[in-house]
Amino acid sequence: MPLVTLLSGAALGVGVLVASMLSTSSTASASGTAATSPATATTTVTLPSASPASAAAPATAPTSAPASAPTSASATSPGTASNAAPGTAPAATASAQQADVPPKADYVAQVNGGGAAVAISVDAGKAVAYICNGHGVAAWYRGTAAAGGLHLAGKNGARLNVEYRTGRATGSIMADGTKYTFSAPVVGNVRPGRRRPGLYEATGVVDGVSVKAGWVVLPDGGQLGSVEYDPSSAVPPTAQAPALDLTTGTAQYDGITLVASLISGITGSGF
Amino acid sequence: MTAQPDASSSAPDDLSLGIGKLVVPSLIGGLVALTLGIYGRLHHPTGVVVNIAGFTSAGYVKSWLATVATVFAVVQVSSALVMYGKIPRVTAPSWIGRLHQWSGRIAFLVAVPVAVDCLYGLGFQTYSTRVLIHSLLGCAFFGAFTVKMLILPKRGLPGWTLPLAGAVVFTILVGLWFTSAFWFFSTFGLHR
Repeated sequence: MPLVTLLSGAALGVGVLVASMLSTSSTASASGTAATSPATATTTVTLPSASPASAAAPATAPTSAPASAPTSASATSPGTASNAAPGTAPAATASAQQADVPPKADYVAQVNGGGAAVAISVDAGKAVAYICNGHGVAAWYRGTAAAGGLHLAGKNGARLNVEYRTGRATGSIMADGTKYTFSAPVVGNVRPGRRRPGLYEATGVVDGVSVKAGWVVLPDGGQLGSVEYDPSSAVPPTAQAPALDLTTGTAQYDGITLVASLISGITGSGF
Repeated sequence: MTAQPDASSSAPDDLSLGIGKLVVPSLIGGLVALTLGIYGRLHHPTGVVVNIAGFTSAGYVKSWLATVATVFAVVQVSSALVMYGKIPRVTAPSWIGRLHQWSGRIAFLVAVPVAVDCLYGLGFQTYSTRVLIHSLLGCAFFGAFTVKMLILPKRGLPGWTLPLAGAVVFTILVGLWFTSAFWFFSTFGLHR
């Protein structure tokens, strides 16, 4: 019987592993299409339905019967005005699932699987984002907030792809060669006296070397922060940030006091 | 000379023979731990993990699964203490053996998806003391559990082997829980 327990555990392990591999390959291919779409997404800013329409078409086609998909598509598009008919249906679903560019919003969450936290701030069409694991992984992203999604770039091929959903930003982020996924809720009203969750940044000079710290402060008051030495270098060495005192907004680091400020898409320097 | 029927002289031989039976299970357990560690180190972590509906993130799924496994592990130790008559004024009920077996099976089977998720999604990491300890303990856990399962049906082992193996497995699991779920809940908050 103990052997049965061991073997069933091993079988379960293999099963979960295969399931993880399958889900990874599907999300990887999904993000692959997302990674190629920033060009189209940014150029078609005025048409938020364009990217959901193209995204929805391949998603529904394989799941529904192959026969019905072409017939429904060909029935609507040639008969009626060729662009309006297919355009309205996805637009309706798009407005239900995807919001337009928020004028100003912060999204904060830990990534799926934990171990890292991400913060995104959109402000008047500009976006800044940060991911860190409180240790060796930290990456800043900057870009333009486009309708339908955010496609931000960082150093060394770091990428962030996000879709707006109702009250959330959902997407994937590449940092330090690892892909993280997340679904970050928008930061809502904050109780008086509590520091607002979001992306905090501080810079300073230690022994003649500039340092840049970033903290993701989560809605429950939890935080993850990393410090980059010589942040303008190609691959800045990164370490754990000192705890950010949420009452004073400061942190003690190597004998100096870092003064952190909540940054937005406009004020954030990015990388 | 070695196999004397005399009880007094055969005791040390029984002991050495009994300990000899631990060699193969220990080697296999070591191999399991090593394989997991090497896989976790060589495999490039995807960072992608399966989430379950109703939970905030996969981190919460894993933390709760780890907590469930740890709770069942506490049942393990408690039922073992009862079985060994270590709890005063408590006589072992007839179902205590089944309780021990099934709590152990559930704890193990609940821990497996968490481990797969860790190894596949995050890998064997060393970037902080907590993470290093967790990585080491995680690999050691399945090695130790394998040893315990393999020596379980063996007869003629010294009486301390099984309690020791069980205690090691339990200690490792509790260490795993403290370096993962406890840290996670205290960092990100205790909810689903």
